Amino acid sequence: MDRDSFLTRVGRASLTSQLPDSVSLSVDLPELPPADLLVLFRSRSQTVSAVVHGPVTRHGVPRAVSGIATGHDASSFMAWDDLPAPGVPSALQAVGMDRVDHVVPSERRIEHNLGYRDVGVGVTGAEAALAESGSVVLAHGEGRPRMASLVPDVHIALVELDRLERTLAHWARKNPTLVTETTNLVLITGPSRTGDIEQQLNLGVHGPRHVHIVMIK
Amino acid sequence: MTQPVTFLGRAEALIGTHEADAVDSGARNFLDLRAKSVEELPALEDLRDRARAIRLHALRHLDRLLAHFADQMQAAGGHVHWAEDAADARQIAADILDRTQSRRVVKSKSMVSEEIELNAHLEALGLDVTETDLGEFIAQLAGDTPSHIIAPVLHMTREDIGRLFADKLGVPYTDDPFELNRIARAHLREVFLRADAGISGVNTAVADSGSIVLVTNEGNGRLITTAPRVHIALMGMERIVSRWEDAAVVLETLARSATGQRLSVYTNVITGPRREQDPDGPEEVHVIVVDNGRSRILAGETAEILACIRCGACLNACPVFRTAGGHAYGSVYSGPFGSIVTPGLHGMDPWWDLPFASTLCGACEEVCPVRIQIPKMLLQLRQQAASEGRLPGWLQAGIARYARITVDPSRWARAKKWASRLSGLISTGRWIRRMPGPARGWTSSRDLPRPAKESFNDWWRANRGS
Amino acid sequence: MQGPEVQLFVTCLVDALAPEVGRATLDALEKAGCEVAFPVDQACCGQPAFNVGLVEDARKMAAHTLDVLDDTEGTVVIPSGSCTVMIAHHYRELFADTDREEQAKRVSTRARELTQFLVDDLQTSARARCDDCAIAYHYSCHGLRELGLDHQADTLLQDTTRARLDGDRECCGFGGLFAIEMPAVSTAIMDDKLDRIEASGADTVVGGDVSCLVHIAGGLRRRGSEIEVKHIAELIGDAT
Repeated sequence: MDRDSFLTRVGRASLTSQLPDSVSLSVDLPELPPADLLVLFRSRSQTVSAVVHGPVTRHGVPRAVSGIATGHDASSFMAWDDLPAPGVPSALQAVGMDRVDHVVPSERRIEHNLGYRDVGVGVTGAEAALAESGSVVLAHGEGRPRMASLVPDVHIALVELDRLERTLAHWARKNPTLVTETTNLVLITGPSRTGDIEQQLNLGVHGPRHVHIVMIK
Repeated sequence: MTQPVTFLGRAEALIGTHEADAVDSGARNFLDLRAKSVEELPALEDLRDRARAIRLHALRHLDRLLAHFADQMQAAGGHVHWAEDAADARQIAADILDRTQSRRVVKSKSMVSEEIELNAHLEALGLDVTETDLGEFIAQLAGDTPSHIIAPVLHMTREDIGRLFADKLGVPYTDDPFELNRIARAHLREVFLRADAGISGVNTAVADSGSIVLVTNEGNGRLITTAPRVHIALMGMERIVSRWEDAAVVLETLARSATGQRLSVYTNVITGPRREQDPDGPEEVHVIVVDNGRSRILAGETAEILACIRCGACLNACPVFRTAGGHAYGSVYSGPFGSIVTPGLHGMDPWWDLPFASTLCGACEEVCPVRIQIPKMLLQLRQQAASEGRLPGWLQAGIARYARITVDPSRWARAKKWASRLSGLISTGRWIRRMPGPARGWTSSRDLPRPAKESFNDWWRANRGS
Repeated sequence: MQGPEVQLFVTCLVDALAPEVGRATLDALEKAGCEVAFPVDQACCGQPAFNVGLVEDARKMAAHTLDVLDDTEGTVVIPSGSCTVMIAHHYRELFADTDREEQAKRVSTRARELTQFLVDDLQTSARARCDDCAIAYHYSCHGLRELGLDHQADTLLQDTTRARLDGDRECCGFGGLFAIEMPAVSTAIMDDKLDRIEASGADTVVGGDVSCLVHIAGGLRRRGSEIEVKHIAELIGDAT
C-alpha cells in the first residue's frame, strides 16, 4: 500500500476513535532520594552481574584492561579506535593477544563475519553510564564497531567518571539529539542472559558472557 | 489435529496439564519479580500516568507521528514500507529478500511476524529461516508455538528440551540448562554470522529522530540487526512515541513490568543503515509498518488497547490465563490483552468468546504500566457480542426471564418460593449436589445451598411490618 | 439516640440464598445506631445481565432498583462489594443521556458497601467476634479494586485471630455467570483458592460478598471440608 492511502486510513480512524483523556505530559523528572552515584552504580551493576573496576587514572587503564583480559585467558581482541585512554591495544598485544580487524567489507561480508567466531575480548568506550540500572551507553560510528561489544566472550567498557548519570530519563533529557547523530545507540545492562529454559538464569547466550566496566577518573 | 474452536474447549484440554502448571508457576514468578521491582520506585503511579499519557498522545496523533517517523528514517538512509494487511506485509518482506538475494534469514522475537504468519510464507519460498530468541528457537525446533509473550517455552521442561536438541541438533542428550544454553549459543553463532538478512520486531519507534528501538536480553536482537547485510523490521503501526525521552519512560516501565528488571540487557536504538564511515552494521534497513486491522481498532471503542507496550504483566496477573495457559486463546496474542486485540484485529468470528474468558477481577488493570482499562473494554466487547445475538440461547432467555421476574415484586416472591420448594425435590439436606440443565456446570464441582424457605423479604414482612 | 436513616439493599443472593446475612447486616446497622428501612420491592441490581453484555435487561432491573431506592434519601447500605460497584459506578453509564440520568447520579452517590459504611462513614467501634476461630479473609475483587475495600474489613476483624491466607487478594473464580459459562476454568481457579485456604490453617473463611462465599462454600462442602464460611456481617451482627 502507498504511504498516503495508509496514513489517510489511520487519520480517518482517529476521527471516530474513542480514546480516553489522560493527564498532560509532565515535564518533571521523577524525584529520587539522593545517592552517591558511583556507589549506586557499583551496586546496581553487581545485581546484573557486571563488574565495575576503578576509578583508575588514564595512565592506569591499559594495565587494568590487560589484567582483565589475561584473567579470562583470551587470545584475540577487538577495540574501538577512539578509546578514552591511550595505549590499550598495544597493551593487549604486548600480552600476546591478536587484534581482529573490525571493518566489515561490503563484499565477502560473511567471510569476514565468520572470523568473529572466537574473539575473546572487545574493548569500547561509552557515552555514559547509568547508575540506577548499572548500564553503559554506547554510541557507534566511525572507528567504533558494534561487534566489539557483541561477539566477544568478554566486553570491557571504559567510562569517564564525569559521564555517570542517575537514570536513563536524566541522560535522555540532557542528550535528546544523540540518537540522530549515530546510526546505532545501545544501552548495555550486564552480560547477555536468558531464563527461557525453566526460568533458570543463564549468562552469555549470544552476547558477551562477561561485562567489565572500568571507570576513569 | 484441529483445535477446538471455543476458548472453553481449548481450555478444557489444557487445564491440569503439565503445560498449564508450568505457565501458572512461571507467570506467578514474573508477577513477584515485577512486584519487587516496582516497590523500589518512589513514584510508580506518576510513572504509570506519564507512560499512559505518552502512549495515548501518540495514538491521538498517529498519522502525523508515523509520517514524521518515516521522513526521519528515510533521511537517515532507511526505507519505510506500508503494509495494509498480513498478505501485503509478507509480500513486501519477500520482495526485499528476493531483490537482495537473501536466502538465509535470522529472526529475533516479533509478535507481528507471527501475526502475519511470515515464517511459513518465507519457508514456502525456499528460504532458510531461523528463530534466534532462545525460547522461539526451541519452539521452532519443536514445531510448536509460544505459550507466553515473554517466555515462549514456559510450558517445556529441561528434559523436553534436552530430548529435542538431541533429536534435532544431533548432540548427546543433556538436560542441564547450562549445557543446553551452551549448545544453543554455539549452534546459533554460526547461523548469525552466515545470515544474509535479519528480521526483527520493533518495541517502539521514535518519531522525532526516525529511530526504532529493539529490546532483548540475549543479544540476538543486536546480532541480527548488525551482522547480516539487510535488516527488516516489522512494526505494528501503533508502536510509536514522539520523542526519545518519551521512549526512555516507556523502556523503564517495560522492563520492570515484564520481568522485574530495571532495564533489559540490550536496548538497541537504530537510526538508519550503516553510514559511510561506520565499520559495521547493515547496508540496508527496511521498516515495514503494519496495519492488519489496527486502524479498525483505532476507529472504535477499544482503541485504548493499542497503548499496550507488550510487557505481559496482564497475562501474569490473570487467573484465567494462569489456569488455562496461552494456547487456550487460540491466537498469537493471549491473556487479557489478547482477549481484546484478537477480536479487534480479526473480527468476532470466531473470537467473540474471548472477552468472556474472564471473571472481570481487574487484576490486569492493576498491573498494567499504561493503565489500560481492560475490564471496561471486555464489557464493551461482551455488549457487542450480545447485541449480535452470539450468546447461547439458554443464557439470553434465562437473563430475560430473570429480568422480568425481578422487576415485579410479586413474581419475585413467587419465584423464590417455587425455587425453594423445587429444590426440596432434588435435595434432602441444606445443599444441592446435582442441578439439571446449564446449571449443572455449577454442581459438577460445587454444592449449591438450597434457596431459603423464608427469604429475607419474607422475614422482614413477618417481623418488621411492611 | 437517633442515628442516620439508611436503606438496606440486601441483594438478590442474600434475599434468596442467605437471608441470615441480611438479618446480621440489619442487626449490625441497628447496633451502630442506624434507623434502617427496607424497601420491600427490591430484588436485583442488574449486575448478572450487565456482566454478560445484556444491557437492555440490565437497564430494566436497574431502573426498577433506582425507583425502589429513590423513595427516600437515606444512604443505601449493601452487604456486597460487587453490587455496590454496580449501583455506585455502572448505573451512571447505563443511564447517561437518558431521562434517568439525574436519578442515576442521585441514587448512585448514596450507595455504600457495608464495611465502608460502618468503618469509614460511621467510624464504628463495633468489632467482629468469632470465638476460637482462625479466620482466613477473602478480599472480593470488585470491592477491593473498584472501591478500595480492605482496611475496613481489617479494622473490623482486629480482635479476631487471622490465619495467613496466601493469595487472599486473588480471584476466587466465581465471576458471576462465568461460573456456569466456563465451569472448567471457574473450577480450576476455585481449586487453587481452596487449596490455599486449606493450607492456611484457617477454620473459618470470611468475606464481604455472598457471591464469592457461596462458590467457596460449595467447593469446600464438595471436598468434605469442615471449614466454615461466613459473611463478615454475621460476625458483627446477630443473624437470628
